[in-house]
Amino acid sequence: MAGQSSGGAVYFAILGVVTTAFGLADLLVTASGSEFAYGGILEMPGDIFRGGWGGIIVLFAGLFYLSGIRNFDDIHQFAKVVMGSILIWVVAGCDIFAMITESIPSWNEETGPWFNTLPDFIAAYAPPYAPAVLLLPFSLVVIYYVRKRASGEDGGGNSP
Amino acid sequence: MKLNTGERWDLIDRISKETVTFGAYQHTLKDAIGELTVKPMTGIPVAIAVMYGFWSVFGSFAGFFTDGFFVRLFDVYWLPWLQEVFPGQGDWLYAIMVDAGGFESGEFVLSSNCLESFGVLTSGLFVAIGVVLPAIIIFYLMLALLEDIGYMPRLAVLLDTVLHRVGLHGYAIVPTILSLGCNVPGVTATRILETKKQRFIMMTLLAIFIPCGAQIGIMQDVVPGLMGWILLYLIIGYFIFGYILNKIVPGKAPEFLIDVPPYRRPMLSNIGKKVWGRIAGFFKVAIPFVLLGCAIVGVLYQLGVIRFLGDALAPVFVGWFGVPKETAGPLIAAFLRKDLAVAQLSAITMTPYQMITAVVLVSIYFPCVATFAMMLKEGWKELLGALAVLTVVVFTYGGLIHLIGILLGVA
Repeated sequence: MAGQSSGGAVYFAILGVVTTAFGLADLLVTASGSEFAYGGILEMPGDIFRGGWGGIIVLFAGLFYLSGIRNFDDIHQFAKVVMGSILIWVVAGCDIFAMITESIPSWNEETGPWFNTLPDFIAAYAPPYAPAVLLLPFSLVVIYYVRKRASGEDGGGNSP
Repeated sequence: MKLNTGERWDLIDRISKETVTFGAYQHTLKDAIGELTVKPMTGIPVAIAVMYGFWSVFGSFAGFFTDGFFVRLFDVYWLPWLQEVFPGQGDWLYAIMVDAGGFESGEFVLSSNCLESFGVLTSGLFVAIGVVLPAIIIFYLMLALLEDIGYMPRLAVLLDTVLHRVGLHGYAIVPTILSLGCNVPGVTATRILETKKQRFIMMTLLAIFIPCGAQIGIMQDVVPGLMGWILLYLIIGYFIFGYILNKIVPGKAPEFLIDVPPYRRPMLSNIGKKVWGRIAGFFKVAIPFVLLGCAIVGVLYQLGVIRFLGDALAPVFVGWFGVPKETAGPLIAAFLRKDLAVAQLSAITMTPYQMITAVVLVSIYFPCVATFAMMLKEGWKELLGALAVLTVVVFTYGGLIHLIGILLGVA
């Protein structure tokens, strides 16, 4: 159990460092006023809303992870790690929702079809992605630890 | 049977022994997350994320319906069809109901889109259904979700200290956020504040600095790139003038006690009822005002009243506020419909800073007729007081924004 918890702490420490770095990079890119893309998979928006405001939230998510890894078994510390993941879900969820709403209409103001063609619809979901979307699958690992803790509580064990 | 004090305490002891279980309470994850969202160090980042999610979903949803479908439906199909079938092109009824158009080299020219036609059946319906309705639906849906989860009381606790600076307390966040949907329920919600002073400050700040959902929807549509700056100016104004009002308005601003409920899974039926109730209320109050406002603005334009007032007030607008003379018309029309006024502003050639100033002026200039009527219902003394404050605010804040622009070299 202790080994698994320390494994979790190490995992979220690494994720925390990466998330914090992404958040800072987001802010720097926004401050520079340009967009940044890398390897066809990562794209940092340069606009003040997604890059600036969204970047601050990603940065906070990283800080939540890093502040929660010490004494990982404590429920209040663990809650910070969960909150870090929730912040990433908020930003990534908004990015994905924006992708969905942009992929359905044809955005044709004059004539032609009202809805997007299938190839364009699928292309709307292709990379590059914003940092929060890339971090999303890694942040979902927290669900495993939440479930593990919940099953521990059912069995009568709970950290004070 | 009459019990003395000792017997009452004995009875209480016996009941509590039978009904209350004593033991050490162990925090659950839900409790710990609940605590994180009310402590300033961790709660403020969470609040920033919640607001981000709120506005991001708002923008995506409203843009999906308005820009994705309604713009095309109204501009490509509805407007040309009405322009063709409605009789009397160029006369006053046609101008009020369908298209005020314009004159180029002495010839009447039809408008190319619903934001410029200013007819009741074109601009009125487009703004009401195509722009405001999607914005209001998603706004109230998100608000109901936050209420049902149990986040709103936590936001109230978190903002309590800040709102005390402006003579209010944490509960003031409820009318403030409600007003972002429509100022009318926002004004009604000021009744949850305890003292006259608090209600006066809240009502005045709502009427001046909180843009309604209709206005935000149309701003999102016509000046999306300037939204951040416009909202920033309004937020700064909210706190500056709230602070001043707190200092000069006599009365008390008491503390508040709130029972923060645990986080709960939202119930679909609850959310459905709340959203439906609020949208139905919005339809009853705001939609008739959109259409009526559009008609009255059209009549005033036809009679030349707005042009006359615009010319008379032009020196103030150009010299003091630093906006073009043409903005006088929309600013006067803003009394009837602020959303239509923003749409009118979008058709005027201006620098980005002038546009920011003009849209901020539309927001702070006067409450719309519906809000005006609701404030009157709350008391004519309060209304007169709010209007006096508003006049001072418009001239000082409008001039200040112009001055900032001059100092930055952008005005």
